[in-house]
Amino acid sequence: MGGCIKTVRVVEAFVGEYASGKSENAINRSLELLSQNQKVTLVDLDTVEPFYTLRPLKKALQEMGLNVIAWSPEQTMGLGEAGSLLNPEMIWALKNEGSIVLDIGYGVHGAKIFNLIEGADTDPNLQVYAVVSIARPMTATKEDIVRYIKDLGNVDGLINNTHLGSETTPDVIEEGAWVITEAARELGLPVMYTAVCQELADKFANTDKMGNPIKIIRRFMPQAFW
Amino acid sequence: MSEKPVKGERRVFMTGNEVCAWAALAAEADIMYGYPITPQTDIMQYWTRLGPKFGRKFLQTEDEISAGFTTVGGVIAGKRAFSATTGPGNTLFQEPMSMAEMMRIPTVVIIPQRGGPSTATVIYSQQEVTMTTFGGNGEGFRIVYSTAGHQDLYDYTIKAFNTAWKYRFPTFVLGDGYQAKMREPLTIYDPAERGIKMVETEPLVGLPGTPGVDRPAQYLRNTYNTEEELYDVVMDIAKDYEKAAPEIIEWQDFDTDTEMDVLILAHGVVSRSAQGALPLLKDEGIRAGHFRPITLRPMPEEQMRRAAAKAKRILVVESAYGQFLKLVKQSLYGMDKPIDTLLRPGVGVTAEEIVDRIKEGR
Repeated sequence: MGGCIKTVRVVEAFVGEYASGKSENAINRSLELLSQNQKVTLVDLDTVEPFYTLRPLKKALQEMGLNVIAWSPEQTMGLGEAGSLLNPEMIWALKNEGSIVLDIGYGVHGAKIFNLIEGADTDPNLQVYAVVSIARPMTATKEDIVRYIKDLGNVDGLINNTHLGSETTPDVIEEGAWVITEAARELGLPVMYTAVCQELADKFANTDKMGNPIKIIRRFMPQAFW
Repeated sequence: MSEKPVKGERRVFMTGNEVCAWAALAAEADIMYGYPITPQTDIMQYWTRLGPKFGRKFLQTEDEISAGFTTVGGVIAGKRAFSATTGPGNTLFQEPMSMAEMMRIPTVVIIPQRGGPSTATVIYSQQEVTMTTFGGNGEGFRIVYSTAGHQDLYDYTIKAFNTAWKYRFPTFVLGDGYQAKMREPLTIYDPAERGIKMVETEPLVGLPGTPGVDRPAQYLRNTYNTEEELYDVVMDIAKDYEKAAPEIIEWQDFDTDTEMDVLILAHGVVSRSAQGALPLLKDEGIRAGHFRPITLRPMPEEQMRRAAAKAKRILVVESAYGQFLKLVKQSLYGMDKPIDTLLRPGVGVTAEEIVDRIKEGR
């Protein structure tokens, strides 16, 4: 087929519990879009504890070509423990040109931050994905996941990011795929993909045993030394 | 009775604060009292999300002084009660914890240390060692476990309740902001299935019968009229503590069986950097060992001295400006060993930095 390639503006928000893998998936998605020659903005939206999360990785990610909206140490001079804190760049994040990936921090309450983002309620492209790991006891069963996703509010799809850090095995990932797919069916939501770390890439084909697409991700967060 | 929160054994992946909440649930803690402060707040948040499902309670107080005193009150009422605080909150906790020391109240408090002095940073430090081990007025006795990661947080939070209730001393789980927020795998388990029996709790007031007739009177006092009376009480507590100490002390040692060029002394999460430094030092041809006290109070002094005796030099490493160093010096008093230091207040320490420090000092 001929014709021009139209670049679709991607706006994706990753929500989920602490340690579910939001930041890893948000970073990897940003880099994937970047590799498609898109202009990409990655936004670290943790208003409650903004000094954790992406701060230590900001510079390295910028050097890779991403536009990163996150606090950096020199910007936080004098703020101390400021309580809830929102960088103006974050309020207007959706006005950036190109594709936008939002890393929504702070567990179950994080999703409420959409109230503070200009245009979040009207952006036609915005897709919200819940990153789920059954290695987290709070989202370990189908019932727990269903309840949890309903609490989150608007979610367009689930991501199976079940893992045990460096101890992850294919079985761990497949068990997650099974439980999360069951939950997704009950919720009437798609499983967008199953995330597999680079180290295990050769153990998987294009899909997991439940038929969800496999996405190979590189782990960045172990380098985050706050 | 409610369903058990943790059944069997499971490998899981979560943050350290969440680990503490699960451990307290598994340890059958009845109630948490608390006042929010980063990086502790998630312990409260997870407890309040999880606790009600298993019939557990929570009270948010107006400040840390209240959180400490209500924890004391909960224990006096016979509940397996606990709290968590850090930094300036830990400062305020010292008044109620001092009362717990005087009255032998088995409180449990989890401390994910943050930077100081004062409000400082919400991130990380090992700067609450002095306060957590010796923070009360007078000369109180308490137990402090210094954890090095998520498995420790789970194991020692459970153990803290049993140590506190068995020996009747306030007990602390001393973590730090890194452990609170970092993510790593661990095994969670039902203590009963590992043969760990939770020490029964009992009310310390309102006991049945008439004092002096059916049972001895229960004196829960933190005020004494004369110095002679106080002397007897403090000496009795001291005697009990000294007697219990050998049963309570815990430590780990690494490569300390043979002669060493250097013995690295570190506690808590910094111990993991020390452990990581050992193979790197071996590659450099340096014979190094590492000793990690798990209890900072009581301190495993004899064991530390035994390891130190085999080393030419000592290197003390901590994310503080000499708080652990002070405890080390006290423990090694009289030994003729040069002590080098790598003191990084409020900042993490990597294995490579320890190696560099040792090479520089040769």
